[in-house]
Amino acid sequence: MFERKNDHQIPDRPLECSECKKPISVRYTEIVGDMITEIHMCADCPELQKRLHGTSPREFVAEQTGNPAGLECGNCGTTLEDVKRGHLLGCSICYTVFEDVLFTEMQTTNRLPPKMINKKGHPLHIGRSPGETSSVTLSSRLVALDEALKETLSREDYEQAALLRDQIKEITEKGEWKEKGTPKQKDEEKK
Amino acid sequence: MERKRDSETKRRRKKMTAHALYPSFSNGQNPWYHNANPIWLGSTLSIHRNLEKFHFPSKLPVEKRKQIISLFDRDVLASQSLKKPQVYKAEDLAPIEKEFLVEHFLSQKSFQQALAGEAFLLDESKEFLGVFNIKDHLYLHLVDSRGELENAWSRLAKIESELSKSVSFAFSPKFGFLSSDSGECGTGLHVTAFLHIPMILHANRLQDILKKNKEDNIEYSGLHGDPHDIIGDIVAFHNNYTLGVTEENILRSIYGLATKLVIEESSLRSHFKQANENEQAEIKDKVSRAYGILLHSYQIEPIEALHALSWLKIGLEMGWLSDTTHEEINQLFFSCRRAHLLCYYGQKMIPEEIPHKRSEFIHIVLKKLKLLI
Repeated sequence: MFERKNDHQIPDRPLECSECKKPISVRYTEIVGDMITEIHMCADCPELQKRLHGTSPREFVAEQTGNPAGLECGNCGTTLEDVKRGHLLGCSICYTVFEDVLFTEMQTTNRLPPKMINKKGHPLHIGRSPGETSSVTLSSRLVALDEALKETLSREDYEQAALLRDQIKEITEKGEWKEKGTPKQKDEEKK
Repeated sequence: MERKRDSETKRRRKKMTAHALYPSFSNGQNPWYHNANPIWLGSTLSIHRNLEKFHFPSKLPVEKRKQIISLFDRDVLASQSLKKPQVYKAEDLAPIEKEFLVEHFLSQKSFQQALAGEAFLLDESKEFLGVFNIKDHLYLHLVDSRGELENAWSRLAKIESELSKSVSFAFSPKFGFLSSDSGECGTGLHVTAFLHIPMILHANRLQDILKKNKEDNIEYSGLHGDPHDIIGDIVAFHNNYTLGVTEENILRSIYGLATKLVIEESSLRSHFKQANENEQAEIKDKVSRAYGILLHSYQIEPIEALHALSWLKIGLEMGWLSDTTHEEINQLFFSCRRAHLLCYYGQKMIPEEIPHKRSEFIHIVLKKLKLLI
C-alpha cells in the first residue's frame, strides 16, 4: 500500500514556533512514562532552554542579561521577558526602553549590516524620513547591467553580452539614469 | 439570541462558498495574466508603518483598531495612485479568500488569523495590497511583473505618502520607521525577486554564484519561506537588512543579483540547447516525465505540479514542446495552487477531491500541448 498526502495534510505555510511564531527549526519530543509530547520551536526559543536545562524563560532572561527580568515599558506594559522571547513590541516607546537589548538582539540575529555594528549610540537609520519624497533613478539598474556585461565578456559569452548591451542602450537613450538626488540631499547641497 | 447566532453562521457559510473577491481577479486586470517572463517571474515590494500616537496592533483593543482603519478612509478614497480602491474587513472574507490573497500577492505572511479590527485594501490594478492592523498598523505590498523595481518603489512610496496625509508615522532618527518587529524597522522595506532558475539548481551553481557576489544583504528561500524547500525551481531572493541601508541600496543589491542570475540561467539554457544528444538526455527525460505527469495524472499535489511545470517551461524554451506559451505556464504556477483552484471552481470541495480537480484543471489548460521529442 502506498501512502498519499492530501492537500489538507500539507501545510501551505511553514509551521511556526508555538512560543514566538518564528519559523520552527526544532521538533522536541519528550517521553515521560506513557505520555509522549511533541513541541515545535524556533532555534533560539527560550522554551528550548527550559526543556533542556530546566530553567524557566524568566530565569533564562535573568541569566542572559544579569538582571532580574523586571524591566517593563511604562506605556504599553511590554516586558523585557517578552522582548527576549521574540514577542512583538507594543509601542514606539519600547524602542527607547529596550534600546540596548534590541541593538544586541539585532546583532545576534544578523539584522544589522556589519558596518553598523560598531556604531552603537549613533543613528543607524540612513533611509528615507517621513514626508521625504523618493526619487530612485535607473542608475542602479545601469550599474548592475554594466557589471553583468563585464562578467559575461570575461567568459566570452557574446550572445548574452549582446542582450545586455541592448538593455544598457535602451536605458541610456531614455536618459532617466542620471542621478537626481533626493530633496534632502539637494537641501544639504544648497547649505 | 440563538436565532441571531444561526443567521450569523448561515451568513458566514454563504461567504465560504461565494468567494466575492475572486471574480474581480479573474475578470479584470491581473498582473500575472500577461506575464511571459521566462526567468524573472516577478517581484514584490512591501513596507511596514505604524501610527505615532497609538500602541502597535498586538497591544490594541479591537475598537481602537477599527478607529485606525477609519483614520485612513479619507486618504484611501482620495488617493491618485490607487484605481478604485476598496477596503475589505477581515471578518467579511472567507479563509479561502485570505489564502487566495497570500497566493496572488506571493506574500510570505499568512493572513488566516486576520479577524475583526483588521482589514485589506485592494485596487483595480490587482498589483497592490494594503493590510491594516496585522502586526503593524499599515502594511503596503506591491507586485511587479515587469522587472522594474525602481518604478514599483516610486509607486509604493507615493501610495504611502498619500495615505499618510492626515496621520503621522512612528519614526525615530535612530531606528527609522518603527515596526512591531524590531527586525523590520529602519526603511521597513522588503524587496523580493522571484526567479525561475532550474538549470542553475540542476547544475548546483547557486552557492558558487552567491559566494562570488558577496552580497551579505541578500537571503533566499523557496515559495513558502523555507530556504531548504525550493518548490518549482522558483527561488525568492530578498533583502536581509531593513535598518542601516537606504531604499536605493536595497533595490540596487536585489537588482544586481537578479541580473547576474538571469544571465547565468540564460547562458546555461543556451548551452544545453546547443549541446549534443547525450548531454541533453537527462533534461529531455525530465521534460518528458513532466509532460506525462501533468497530462496523464488522475490526481496531483501542488508541489508535484509546480516541479513539473518548471520543466515544462524548460522544454518550451528548448523547442521540445509546442502549442503552449510561457504566459500560459506562468499563469498555471498560480492557478493550480489550492486557493486559486477552489475559488475558480467556486464550489465546496472536500480536501480529498482537490488533487483530482487540480489534475482536471491542468488537463484542460494544457490540452493542446504537444511533446516533440
